[in-house]
Amino acid sequence: MVSYIVFLLVIAGIYALLAQSLCLAWGVTGLVNLGLAGFFAIGAYASATVVKWGGAPVPLGLLAALAAGAIAGFVVCVSTLRLRDDYLAIVTLGFAEAVRVVASNEIWLTGGTDGISGIPAGLPRDWGQGFHLASLAAVSAVVGAVWLALRRLVASPWGRALRAVREDQVVAAVAGKRVTRLKAEAFAISAAIAALAGALYGHYTSYIAPEIFQPLVTIYVFLAVTAGGNGRPTGATVGAYLLIAFLEATRFAAEVVPGVSALQAAALREMAVGVALILLLRFRQRGIFPELNQKAPA
Amino acid sequence: MTITRRIVLAGSAGALAMPNVVRAQGETFRVGALNPVTGAGSPYGSGMQRMIGAAVEAINAAGGANGRRIELFSEDSQTSPQAAVLAAKKLIEVNRVRAILGTWSSGVSLAVMPLTNDADILLMHTSGAPALSTPPVNAKSLGFRFQATNDRFGRAFAEIAAREGFRRPATMAFNNASGIGNTDGFRRAWAAKGNQNGEHVVYEPNQPSYRAELLRVLNTRPDVIVMGSFLPDTTIILREWFQTGTPMKWIIPGWAANPQLVQALGPAVTQGIIAVESVSNEGAPAFAAFDAAHRRAMGNQPGTANAYAAMTWDMANTLALAIEQAKSFETAAINAAIRQVANPPGEAVATFAEGKAAIAAGRKVNYEGASSVLDFDQFGDVTPDFGAYFIEQGQFNRRYVVKI
Repeated sequence: MVSYIVFLLVIAGIYALLAQSLCLAWGVTGLVNLGLAGFFAIGAYASATVVKWGGAPVPLGLLAALAAGAIAGFVVCVSTLRLRDDYLAIVTLGFAEAVRVVASNEIWLTGGTDGISGIPAGLPRDWGQGFHLASLAAVSAVVGAVWLALRRLVASPWGRALRAVREDQVVAAVAGKRVTRLKAEAFAISAAIAALAGALYGHYTSYIAPEIFQPLVTIYVFLAVTAGGNGRPTGATVGAYLLIAFLEATRFAAEVVPGVSALQAAALREMAVGVALILLLRFRQRGIFPELNQKAPA
Repeated sequence: MTITRRIVLAGSAGALAMPNVVRAQGETFRVGALNPVTGAGSPYGSGMQRMIGAAVEAINAAGGANGRRIELFSEDSQTSPQAAVLAAKKLIEVNRVRAILGTWSSGVSLAVMPLTNDADILLMHTSGAPALSTPPVNAKSLGFRFQATNDRFGRAFAEIAAREGFRRPATMAFNNASGIGNTDGFRRAWAAKGNQNGEHVVYEPNQPSYRAELLRVLNTRPDVIVMGSFLPDTTIILREWFQTGTPMKWIIPGWAANPQLVQALGPAVTQGIIAVESVSNEGAPAFAAFDAAHRRAMGNQPGTANAYAAMTWDMANTLALAIEQAKSFETAAINAAIRQVANPPGEAVATFAEGKAAIAAGRKVNYEGASSVLDFDQFGDVTPDFGAYFIEQGQFNRRYVVKI
């Protein structure tokens, strides 16, 4: 039981990173990123290929993931500048699908639909429980570091400018903020965080394949961020842990419902997720940790 | 009554103690069923899970394996590696299962096997990816594949195509390890016979129409199309092909070209299709037992409707026989006993009860399964023969058997 919970905490930590990524792009800056799974995949593949095929140490792989995510994020964001805002959402959705299709067809690089198995973790796997605890410590440390950094960023003048862009970019531009640059910066940082999450996922579970990076991942993260409060890194982080706890709880809840088939139990779980979202949006529109108004400096 | 902290503590302590009470009433051997109840594998997953349950019932009715009842815990893999990993972890850590049965897609099996290896338990799967046979994935040799590898299916396709006198085959594959494994195996074997391969199209899953891919293949005027496909996409592709009116021959794996396909499309569309299936001993007594159980559990659907359910039925039986043979509940001993009870030589047995009696009498048994004769090679792969079934007026007629 303990190692199951440790495992869940690691996975939840990875979701927390994704949620923080979305918090920065969507919650703070208002850039709807429906392609989170794509950036997640890019990071996973960047790190896995560098470490597995290139023989580089894992920290270098994580750096490669950050770089690959930032570059991809920058390119995606800049390529939509001439379009209206809504198009970013569509482009990112297409981007994630493109990443998945490339990953399943460029077999020389990604192993195709077989994926890449036996990715080194940087920690010895034969430690047993020790390996999982060490991974938990590492992932939690990263989550904590990103959380602190995001809090600082969001509270900084730069973060204030991002919120100004979110509320009304024309006003922000009139006030002398360089809207395009702010958006590109925020989106690239956000993509890099998602990529880092992907890299950690690959190294921890030792296996990645295109079918892991389904749009469902993106939807779950949106759910987590909505639940936690999308404008605050704390909200996003807590939301991610709650999401994993909730999803796993439905597994046990479905077991105790008497007289349902496996198919009905699966449907019940999906319904529970839907009902939870509706209830949340009805009673807690702004999430568990709603964004606070910042007082203007005196 | 107010709920004090003391009452909560007492209650939780009681809840924690519960499993021990249950255990005291009789030790069981815990087995996990991890099947694609939802997602791309959903046409097969429910049946797979129910047939594991049905086999376990039969085993327990025969007195259990080595004196212990088998206790089954079921989870949905959602045909997604990520969801499957969480479910597998729960089965391993919370339910403490000693084997996981019935993962379906290669991605799921590849993702789950590191966990089963870590926990030192068996994984019995129906996936086709060749990587599942060898290290690093199967480093501990705890993985058993109840399905012929897709490469072997492909080789059987090539034998059949040659025998039917086809000259210019084209291939279409569902983009996953299994689909591509089929067509790649075919193309390799076909080239090895000194033949020319035709157009090869890989299509993405979950499309409402495959017309573009289909036309690309039809435009090259092949005389046969060899498929690496599943039921939902095959149904769409054949319907769209029939609408074009082009005469064409098809060679399709048996899990896609099955009675459900005929039911969906009618005998006119499916006339002359060659379905290739590992010889699932349809005349064999194990298949009769499986078929009867399948009809009972699945609302009178025949066992031929779900080739994977026959495999999961065999998994439970093989595992239980291996436990009986090993006289042990240790993974290493069970693992070693699997080949003893499944491979020749030995007295051919069709059910767990029969096998148990033979083992008790000190005879060596050879379980001949419902899905195939189930003989495992050193990689834990089955090496079945393949039957060429021609669909004629909606009936599946086996014309001959191919050995590779």
